Amino acid sequence: MTVRVPEYERLSLGNGVALVLMPRRDVPLVTFNAVLRGGGSCDPASRPGVASLVAGLLEKGAGERDAYAFADVVEGVGGSFGAGAGAETINVRGQFLARDQQLMLELLADALLRPLLQEEELQELAARQVELIKAAKGSDPAELIGTYGRAFLFGQHPYGWPVFGSEASLTAIDREDVRRYYDGQFGAERLILVLAGDIDADLLARMAAESFSRWPRTCTPLPVLARPRPLRERRVLLVDFPESAQTYFWIGNVGVDKRYPRRAALDLVNTLFGGRFTSLLNTELRIRSGLSYGARSSFARGSVPGEFSLRSFAQTGNTGRALELALRTLDRLRSDGVTREMLDSARAYTLGQYPLGLETAADWAAMLAEIELYGLGRGYIDDYPAQLAAVGVAEAQAVIEEAFPRADSVAIVTIGDAARIEGALEGYGLVSHMALTDPEFSGGWASGDENRP
Amino acid sequence: MRDATLANGMRIIVWPVHDIPNVALYNWVRAGSRNEAPGATGLAHFFEHMMFNGTSHHPPGHFDRLMEAEGGANNAFTTDDVTVYQDWFPASGLELVLDLESDRVARLAFTPEVIESERGVVASERRLRVEDNSHGLLAEQVQASAFVAHPYRFPTIGWPADIESWRLEDLQAFYRTYYAPNNLTLTLAGDVDPERAIASVRRFFESIPAQAPPPPVRAVEPEQVCERRVSIRRKAQTPLLQCAYKAPRAADPRAPAVSLLLSALVEGDASRLHRALVEDRQLAIEVSGHWQEGFDPGLLWLSLTLPEGADPEEARRALDAELAAVAADGVTEAELERARNLATVGLWKKLATIDGKAQMLGEYEVFHGHWSRLFDAPARIAEVSTEELRAVAEEILDPRRRTVGVLVPSSPPSASTAS
Repeated sequence: MTVRVPEYERLSLGNGVALVLMPRRDVPLVTFNAVLRGGGSCDPASRPGVASLVAGLLEKGAGERDAYAFADVVEGVGGSFGAGAGAETINVRGQFLARDQQLMLELLADALLRPLLQEEELQELAARQVELIKAAKGSDPAELIGTYGRAFLFGQHPYGWPVFGSEASLTAIDREDVRRYYDGQFGAERLILVLAGDIDADLLARMAAESFSRWPRTCTPLPVLARPRPLRERRVLLVDFPESAQTYFWIGNVGVDKRYPRRAALDLVNTLFGGRFTSLLNTELRIRSGLSYGARSSFARGSVPGEFSLRSFAQTGNTGRALELALRTLDRLRSDGVTREMLDSARAYTLGQYPLGLETAADWAAMLAEIELYGLGRGYIDDYPAQLAAVGVAEAQAVIEEAFPRADSVAIVTIGDAARIEGALEGYGLVSHMALTDPEFSGGWASGDENRP
Repeated sequence: MRDATLANGMRIIVWPVHDIPNVALYNWVRAGSRNEAPGATGLAHFFEHMMFNGTSHHPPGHFDRLMEAEGGANNAFTTDDVTVYQDWFPASGLELVLDLESDRVARLAFTPEVIESERGVVASERRLRVEDNSHGLLAEQVQASAFVAHPYRFPTIGWPADIESWRLEDLQAFYRTYYAPNNLTLTLAGDVDPERAIASVRRFFESIPAQAPPPPVRAVEPEQVCERRVSIRRKAQTPLLQCAYKAPRAADPRAPAVSLLLSALVEGDASRLHRALVEDRQLAIEVSGHWQEGFDPGLLWLSLTLPEGADPEEARRALDAELAAVAADGVTEAELERARNLATVGLWKKLATIDGKAQMLGEYEVFHGHWSRLFDAPARIAEVSTEELRAVAEEILDPRRRTVGVLVPSSPPSASTAS
């Protein structure tokens, strides 16, 4: 038995808003997921973080309510309401008791159509975001390593920009930037609105049409992203974290996009390489050697190819050994490929696990928005088991060659005690240096000028 | 829903749910760092790792390989009070999972090379969560200072020297004592027939002999009579402030009031402390809280992340003023209603997944005496009055019964940038 997309209704308002309704009555909760195309890739190149601040400001006052009144009414009924930016979207999500579904839609319409975007709230939010970045550097440097990795790999391509901003860019962003983003990048044809859960579908469809059908379209075309160019050599970035006990590392290169036709094979090969506990990577770095608490790999796939990356960490003195082992494992994937038995195990694992991510109304609200955003169709879910079943050794090998980098052409980012690990990084390629306390995430970029727009 | 007690004392609770073709299984072991002794701290957590490393039937690595090849995934966690093993798998994998779970309870092997390798993994986990993590480093010191007699003072991950020094005999004795069926509770939620699931559990577990019950934890923490303080200097950019107040045990009748108090203080942007300290006065960039609900009276934590250059003393004074007001006057009816509604939604969110169901069943069975008390939770939340909440605030938020931890950056930011 597998999971299929439940019945849902998709409406298109005359102005281009896509409205998706999926009633699902297991618990008395309703959920919304509003996705606006655009996101961080619409930021000015010199000031990443604008989209993220606009998202944060949506709930800091909208319609007749100021920031406090908005939070009071949301939380007063036990609801949640939050917004954030990704590289290609702004995402607004929330969950309420079913009895409050009209209120939920009213609040969402206020936030999207009538945000106050006040100067004072902007200053507070930006200042707080700067401090949160500094705090994260002391508490969980591994959490930020992907941001350093993308900045180093993608350089000036929008996928390289820190979506939530850097300490430097957040200080520079002003209300004009925010206003310009909202005026230029918010509009009807950019919106996908999914309403799911214990909803009265007719009532909400009517309300949504009333609220959103007069919303004008944006005046700016959605930017089309260039395909990022993969790195063709090995480059190293060393981010100095003095006195750290371990070195955190990230190894990556440009991978594949959301519409990559061999998605089922990609999922299986990544499961085998670094996507589960017994993966090749975790077996080497954790199970066999005891060097690390864990090692994983993943693909970020957008409208154009995002990154393949692997991440792990090891005690400072073991930095060279752990890096070498990770690169050798990547090499081994390419030279040895995967066997039929390995594929069968990964297939069973993937089939057994993916229903757990499609259990709640909120899970489906996220999945339906993704299907709509990238034009994937319901086959993305319904045909997945059959696609998994069809993957053979040859297709897996093709995926390894198309999507996984060669170990000699990757960006390597390390966060660690520079004075103690510099020697271990010799021989891996040209090393760029920066300090964890630097107010930017980029210390030059790996591919030289190749990813300049 | 069905429950059963096996002849050897093991408890099983099953919640059938057929939304997705999967099952979540939680195996609750009543053993945590609370059951440890000086010199062997971290043993319960190390054990959690060793439970994946081979039995007399299955060599190291087989547990995960077999389970993943059948579509299952697993994890585990250790707290001060319990060690919990979790499996998520397709319904067709039930027999295999029960086989593997019972095998490691009955026949765990202790291979010296595997023990050594796993020490390295745990040391890496400790560096990640404590040594390279300001929050973890400070919390460990605060917890160690908050208790003088009770083993809740031990860090669950263990002190570094202890991680280096456990011996095979320590592990074997711990296993015999705590991994006995009479010390286990199995909760299952998902696509199963309850009667058949219980019959399968019987088949795999009932032959494992019961053991003498583990020795009770007799230590009772004496009344704390004065505030304790710890201060850490560390390379970091932002200061931290943590206050840990002595708080009731999970099974205390005032538990719903304690949860609602914590929610009124820190949950969401409209909460008392977020609004006062983050929004109004901008003394902190983040406020969070946590109640360690355990078998014995534990701690209620309030944690503040401060902006670079902030004075932790100023933040503490502002926090104290807010808490004193709540202890004296309580919260408003609107604040209480907000906390109740957030708790209700929180409960429904948990119950929307088979994972949440298996977890909640276990928490209520293990910490509150019976799984069925889960279903009293909404009524108990609804019953809490503003006066009860005020009384709980007055009792808990007493500065004499707290431990304050401060982490201050060891060098000014300009100097660290230049280095």
